[in-house]
This record gives sequence, structure tokens and C-alpha cells, in this order.
Amino acid sequence: MTAIPRRSARTTIDSLASATGRGRRPWRLPVLAIVCAGLAAAGCSSSSSPSATAVQGTASVAYASSLTFLNEKVAAPAFTKATGYGYTGRGDSSGALEADIAGKEITPNVFEAVGGDNITPLQPKFTKWYIPYAGTQMVVAYNPKSKYASDFKAYADGSKPLKGLFTLMETPGFKLGRTDPNIDPQGRDFIYMLELAQMYYHLPKDTVSKILGTTDTGTSSSSQIFAESSLDATLQSGQLDASSAFITQAVELHLPYIKLPAAINLGDASLASQYAKATVTIKPPGAPKTTKSGSPQVIDITIIGKPTPAGIAFVKYTLSPAGLAQYKRGGFTLITPTVTGDSSAVPSAVRSELGG
Amino acid sequence: MSWAASPPAHVAGSALRRTVRSASGVASLAGAAVIWVALLGPVITLLAHLSWPQVSAALSVPGALDPLAVSVESGAITLGVLLVLGTPLAWTLARGSLPFPRFWEAGVLCSLLLPPLVIGLLLIFMVGPYTPIGELLGHVHLSATNTFLALVIAEVYESAPYYVLGAQAAFAAVEPAIEEQAALLGDRPSRVARRVSLPLAAPGLAMALAVAWARAMGAFGAVVIIAYHPFGIPLQIWTTLQETGLPTALPFALVLLVVALPLPLAAYIWSARARGRRRG
Repeated sequence: MTAIPRRSARTTIDSLASATGRGRRPWRLPVLAIVCAGLAAAGCSSSSSPSATAVQGTASVAYASSLTFLNEKVAAPAFTKATGYGYTGRGDSSGALEADIAGKEITPNVFEAVGGDNITPLQPKFTKWYIPYAGTQMVVAYNPKSKYASDFKAYADGSKPLKGLFTLMETPGFKLGRTDPNIDPQGRDFIYMLELAQMYYHLPKDTVSKILGTTDTGTSSSSQIFAESSLDATLQSGQLDASSAFITQAVELHLPYIKLPAAINLGDASLASQYAKATVTIKPPGAPKTTKSGSPQVIDITIIGKPTPAGIAFVKYTLSPAGLAQYKRGGFTLITPTVTGDSSAVPSAVRSELGG
Repeated sequence: MSWAASPPAHVAGSALRRTVRSASGVASLAGAAVIWVALLGPVITLLAHLSWPQVSAALSVPGALDPLAVSVESGAITLGVLLVLGTPLAWTLARGSLPFPRFWEAGVLCSLLLPPLVIGLLLIFMVGPYTPIGELLGHVHLSATNTFLALVIAEVYESAPYYVLGAQAAFAAVEPAIEEQAALLGDRPSRVARRVSLPLAAPGLAMALAVAWARAMGAFGAVVIIAYHPFGIPLQIWTTLQETGLPTALPFALVLLVVALPLPLAAYIWSARARGRRRG
């Protein structure tokens, strides 16, 4: 074997590189291209975005996590395009957001909560009003490849009486998924729904405990309980037969679902007193036992702290026909927006959207 | 002008070099201090935001320390699994005795590179109740979803690559010539491994195991997907944060630190001393 002298090897490599059009800095051209493309894109976006020329500011929005898809993928881009304001969002359970705002751990301009009872504790320090504008409802999402799929389809299209769904969910080996009632409103809502169904359909008194697999309905210690983020993924991967869901989630994720009557789905604001008959006693980590009761799943919006132009613009946009249409497409029920609380504290631009 | 009064050129040059060296020494020290403080910043912040009454109140709630027991038990089992299954893999990787060694190494690296959350999502497809593995487990009344077994599986996946790669480096650092000499003196391979390779690799193995322990204790991404229940400490922190906010969650972060840190520190000190003795 003939050894190639180092110098000639280097020369060979260099000449090969030149011959193939690559010099000693082969990364230069692609990097320059990427930088140029980035600058060009920045130039294009600054010329097309009204935010750089017309208005400045960013609406910081804290929202219930059931609004994640709608806010991040639908409302935020449309809001920015329509108004020129920027948008930053943070999704979490309404209760956790309320605690974060009260503890000044976050300082959003706008708060969208499921249920006004997550806003009233912030009054009057952070806000004096809120506006309900949309409602959601509980459904039972199901796995179309489950061995019970034909039953689910029959319940969904009404060919079988819905009462049987609750008996089916009691079946030993039935894989049901739900979220933690101690930290997630959906986890509690599902239990309220089961309790209401037990009353509504005159089912045996142990129906709820049989479905949940425990008499301690507020417990976190159940193999049925998943983190909210993984529940849908587990259902979609075919590892569950059915799971709790808000109708909006089911629509967004294209999950097949079974609609429930208004008497039990927590979606009708006029049935608030009926829903309140369902209760769950929970024991959140590091907190004493508390008993919570069912309430209509209404989305409320308010401005936190001193209203900023971007915050006002976001609320105004959300309550506008264009904003509400997005909610309707997402499966929400629209509610005529009316102020709850001190209406004189509502910015005039928002009031004008209410027609007053 | 008196030339006699001026220092010779080479003396001036060495003084300049000393000054430059001391200046660069000070700069390195300052740089190291900045990085060290920055790395410790979150820990310092944690300690600054905690008061003893706050810690005591949070930890005295009945059942508050149950997740600690869950984390320690699952972490201990995870280390056992890694020792039994990960050590032979690390050994064979270090010795290059597997066919297509790069293929095996790439496999370990893949599991290191996958975000824990993704590992959790993929584990659903692998060990979920309606998968072949899940159904097999179901026959013996076990489940790899939302159970202690699921927690151990998630922790093994999150910590295994750290142990295997660390152990591989520890075995690779053992001079093959020493093992060959032991073999030439008549020791069987098992005796060479027991009397030569393992003791020489032990400090590195201890460090790898300690890092794996810390990873298992802090495992969250895969755990939150397939093992929501029973709670270990990371999930305890997360659920407490969700429900009652930061002040109640922070004491559990301290618990995690207190439990996860001593083993890596002890392993580091022992490993450093062992290396020092060998050099000495």
C-alpha cells in the first residue's frame, strides 16, 4: 500500500472541494442563504404586518386549557391579522390560573375562564366584571376501534337508548379514561355528569361508584385518571374504550363522541340549579377537603388590571361577530354577551361590542 | 540614557507573560464563578423563596410524603433493573464485542435523544392495555398504565441511556492490557471481570448510576403520560402547582433536591478520591 504524503493529500482534498464547487468553508453559502432568506422574510413580514406600522403592543391572554386549540391556532392569528396587535397565550386549568393571578405569579391582560366562579375571587382587586359569551358541554368520546364501538355508534345516533351507555361503562374490563377531579375541572365535570345521569335515568344508586371503580369519587388514585394532556392521546392511540371530553375537544381532535341531554351535559345555563345537585368532595394536594358542585360550563372573559389597548382589542375581537363565529365553528354554544358585575368598569370599546 | 538601569529584554518578557497569565487566570476564575452561580441560580432562588414554617406546613399535611416513598421505591427498582440489564450492554459496547457495534450505540443514543414526553406517548402504543404486551400483562392481572409498574417502566426509559453511556465510558477507560495480563496469568474471564475490570471501572459506574438515579427521581415527561398514578415527587410538585400554586409546590421541590442530590454527590466524591489515589 502506498502512503499518500500529507501535503499532497490536503491538496487533493482541496482540489476535489474546488472541483465540486465547495471551498474550505462549505457552510458559508447555506448559512448566507438562510440569513438572507430570514432577512427577506422579516422584511416581508414587517411590510405586511400592520403591527409594525399601525399599532404596537401584545395581548397577554390566560385561558382555560380547553380553549388551547381555538386560541392558539384560530383566534390568535386572526386577531393579529385583524388588529395588528401581538398575542401571547397561556393555557391551564381555570382554577390554577386564578391562583396564579391572585398570587401575582402571572400578569395577563385578559383572562378567559370556564365558569365565573374562577373570576369572582379576583374581584375587585384585579377586575370588577366579566362577560359570559360561549358555552361548552360534556360528551363521552370513544374509540372507534373499541370492541364496544357498535354500541357507542348506536348510542351516538340514538338507535339505542342512552341510559344503556351508563350500564355499559360499568362492565368489568371497560377501559374508561378521565382526568383528575382534584386539579382539573373536566375531571369534576365528568363525575357531576355521571351523578346527574344516575338521577335523570333513575339508575341504581351505586352506578357512579361502579363506573368510577371507587366510592371515593374525588380520589386521584384511580387507574382511570390521566393527565389532561395524555388522556386524548391515550384514547386516540386506541388504548381506551371511552373517555370524558368537552364537545369542543372532541370536535377539534376529530374524536367520535356521544352527545348527552342538556339535563346532564352541564351545557345549559338555565339548568344551573339542577346541575348544582351534583357534588364531588375533593382533597387537593396540600389543601383541605372541599365539596364542589356542578355548574354550567360557560366561558367568561375579563380584563385583568389596568386595561391595555391590546387587551381591550382582544376582548373586543373575541366578542365581535368574527370572534364568536370561531367559537361556533369550534363546537361552542353562543351566549348573548352580557356584563356580570360593575358594567361601568368595562372599557367603552368593549361595551360597544355588546351594543351598549 | 542608562542601559544598565533597564531590565534585560527576556526578564521584561517573562514579567509580561506572568502578568498575562495571572490576568487570564483571574478571567477564567471569574468566568467559572459566573457559570457556577448561574447554574446554581435556580437552587439559590428556591432556597431564598422558602421559609421553614412554609416547608413544615406543606410537609406535615397527612400523606404529603407518600410520593417520596413512591419515588424512592420506584427509583431503587429502576437502578436494580439498570444494573442487571444495562451493565452487560455497557460492557459489550465498551469492548466492541457486539456485531455492528455502531448500530447498538445508535440505538442507545436514539433513546437519549427522544424527548421524555415523546417516549411517554410512544410507550402508550407499546405497553397500553390493548397492545400485545398490555394484554399479556392483563392475563397476570398487571397493567403498564397508571400503575407502579408503569412508573418504573417510564423511569427506566428516562434514565437508562444515561447509565449505559456512562457505564460504557467507565469500562472503556479500563486499560485492556491489564485485563489481558490477568488472563495470561490464568484468570478466567468471569474472574477478570470480577477482580480487575469491575473494581477499576467502579468509580465511573458509580457516577453513571448516580446520574441515572437523579434522572429517575426527576422523571416527568414519560411519567405524566403513562403513570399519572401513583404520584412520585415530580407529579406531586406538578399537581400541587396546578391546584394550590407555587408557595405550596416549592417545598416538594426541596424534598426532590434533598432526595436526589446526596447519591450523585457521594458518588462524585468517592469517584474523585479513587481517581486521585490511582494518580498518586
